[in-house]
Amino acid sequence: MAKVTLCTDWLDVCSGCHMSLLDIDEGLATLFGSVQLLSSPITDLKHPPIEGADVGILTGSVSNDHQEEVARRMRERVRILVSMGDCSVFGGICTMRNFFNVEDVLRHAYVETDSTAPNQAVPRSPEIAKLYPKVRPLREVVKVDYYIPGCPPSAKAIAYVVTELASGREPAWTEDLLRYG
Amino acid sequence: MPDVRVTIDGIEISVPSNSTVLEAARRAGVNIPTLCDHPAIEPIGACRMCLVEIEKQRTLQPACTFPVFEGMVVQTRSEKVVGARQFVLQLLFSERNHFCMFCQMSGSCELQNLAYDYELDHWAFERPMPKFEVDASREFFAMDHNRCILCRRCVRVCDELVGNGTLGMRNRGADTMIIADLGVPFGESSCISCGTCLQVCPTGALMDRASAYMGATAQIERVKSTCMACPVGCGEELVVRDGRVIRVEGDWEAKPNNGLLCVRGRFDPLHDRRDRVRKPLVKQNGEWVAADPNAALELVSGKLAAAGDKVATIASGFVTVEEGKALADAVKGNKYYMYALPPAGNTATVADLDRADLYVAVGIDLAEDYQVAGMAVKRGVRKRGARLVLVGNAGEGMAKWAARQLCCDDLAEAAKLIQAAEHPLVIAGPEGLEAANGLVAAAPQARLLSFAPGGNGRGLVEAGYAEAFAGQAADVYVVAAGETANVDQCLLDALKKGAFVVVLASYAAPWDGVADVILPMPTSLEKSGTTVSVDGVLSPVAAAMHTRVGSLQDTVAQLAEAVR
Repeated sequence: MAKVTLCTDWLDVCSGCHMSLLDIDEGLATLFGSVQLLSSPITDLKHPPIEGADVGILTGSVSNDHQEEVARRMRERVRILVSMGDCSVFGGICTMRNFFNVEDVLRHAYVETDSTAPNQAVPRSPEIAKLYPKVRPLREVVKVDYYIPGCPPSAKAIAYVVTELASGREPAWTEDLLRYG
Repeated sequence: MPDVRVTIDGIEISVPSNSTVLEAARRAGVNIPTLCDHPAIEPIGACRMCLVEIEKQRTLQPACTFPVFEGMVVQTRSEKVVGARQFVLQLLFSERNHFCMFCQMSGSCELQNLAYDYELDHWAFERPMPKFEVDASREFFAMDHNRCILCRRCVRVCDELVGNGTLGMRNRGADTMIIADLGVPFGESSCISCGTCLQVCPTGALMDRASAYMGATAQIERVKSTCMACPVGCGEELVVRDGRVIRVEGDWEAKPNNGLLCVRGRFDPLHDRRDRVRKPLVKQNGEWVAADPNAALELVSGKLAAAGDKVATIASGFVTVEEGKALADAVKGNKYYMYALPPAGNTATVADLDRADLYVAVGIDLAEDYQVAGMAVKRGVRKRGARLVLVGNAGEGMAKWAARQLCCDDLAEAAKLIQAAEHPLVIAGPEGLEAANGLVAAAPQARLLSFAPGGNGRGLVEAGYAEAFAGQAADVYVVAAGETANVDQCLLDALKKGAFVVVLASYAAPWDGVADVILPMPTSLEKSGTTVSVDGVLSPVAAAMHTRVGSLQDTVAQLAEAVR
């Protein structure tokens, strides 16, 4: 039987969700018996292939135009999209900047902090992604099929959902798998 | 009340006709989730978590407020009900800013637990993300409006149980805010920081500074004990993690406090800033030196032996019955209670405060001392229309609840009011006792509830400390202080008069100014024993906190050993 193909990527994150993915440890060997990882931020191949994949996992919130593009590209190329981690599912800690004006946030970060050297400016290079005024959870940008909340989700929860999807079953929340924070 | 028959999830049950659907369901063993409901206060149907489907009712109804009727058929787990509860949870999570990942209540939060139960793996609505401040203007606990779900439990306990009426709501709908008084910071309001609101808050909106992040539900255990700070003798639950008490809560099942505590009982034990005594301290050439335990005990036993019967033992209200007896057995000489003796002539109990229609407070400030009794007076005034009359110096704290304030020499007027009342209760402190006795004699229906300082006064009187200390001379003073900070200057002055002074204390202050030797003594969180309340009820004090400080009984035994 052909393996189920999987792509992962991260948006506005601390990368903890992918650390939790790695925390599946030796379970990854079992998982990769039925799942083939095509791309992820922690492998050589970073982008989901144009031919598409069965399952995509996105972690992190959508905070700038680059992240929106990454999210849309993943959505287009995978059959099932999983939103993983509190930032991706709810907006999480990243949304705390929604309480402030984005220009104030940039000025504070690049100009006003105590650790900033004098005469610094907010970087405005066209190559740098533009921050959106508000941080959004993934589901406000693209259609999401499944959610794994948690900060980060436990390795057990990630392994469970991926295994169920790879087997063509509907994941159902049991015991202590569903956790926020 | 005649019974009616109702069917809940197919279970037929007969319940009193004044029951709510929630009460009936609990009797039938059917679990209905709740958030705003709390057993100690009246239901208001604010949160809508308890919605159920009732046959012949047009819409879903809140179980907590809906009364049962004969032949009622209720579904609590239908698809419609579960969907509605999920919708309610979605709304609660979306309205304000709920960040479980750094909330101190994650793992102990009623809102979070319900979201797990109802498998909310995302929130369906866009969040408005309103910006709210955190009010940290109170010393012991803070309010984060971001996590508030407007269940009004805090408002209701402050009104119904504490009788303080500090909390209320401003605005309506999504703009509703919990406020203190007319919208002032909590720390500047009429709040008395009793922390009852903190204890009932279902989310992380009210946060305790001492126990925040110190242990979630799965990591803690609860030990029942009795507060020794005053003779009301409130039952408490010590919240313990890894042998450390992280929080003190009122025990809902305990009498006479029924779950309430005052600011002193709840917060003092964990916020005492005085230097702890962990090893024997001996004063040498005006300096305090940590002494070898045996040397310190030998010094003390030598002084005791030399003094013969000219020893005075003084016990504070923090000394348990068992400690008092052990000390009385081991040390010769006179036994004194540190404060005014607890009065023997009470004809009313603390529970009677909830039945009186007239309170006459004489020489007692119930807003400052014996606060849980004061709360009963406040709620009697607010909820039952009882009247409070303050006689003489009764402090300003209760003035807001008082119908009249009389001068000390206006006892005749007070007596008239008592004679006219059905259930008058005269409440007195030591200074007001004489006048209070006169007032009680004025009418046969009048009853007396008087208080004297110190938690275990009655237990210690029974244990032989039957005289109040008033400067009686001795060659050696043995003071069993525990953690008391309520120390009269007269006592300190008497101890300074040249006698040898040994203090058994949990904290050095104020004893380091008068003692020659300070021996460590466990706090009431660290020792087990019993204490006797103003009502004469013997209650357990439980050792919930690990300590290396030996028990007073051990210290006394070692002293006896050193004498030989």
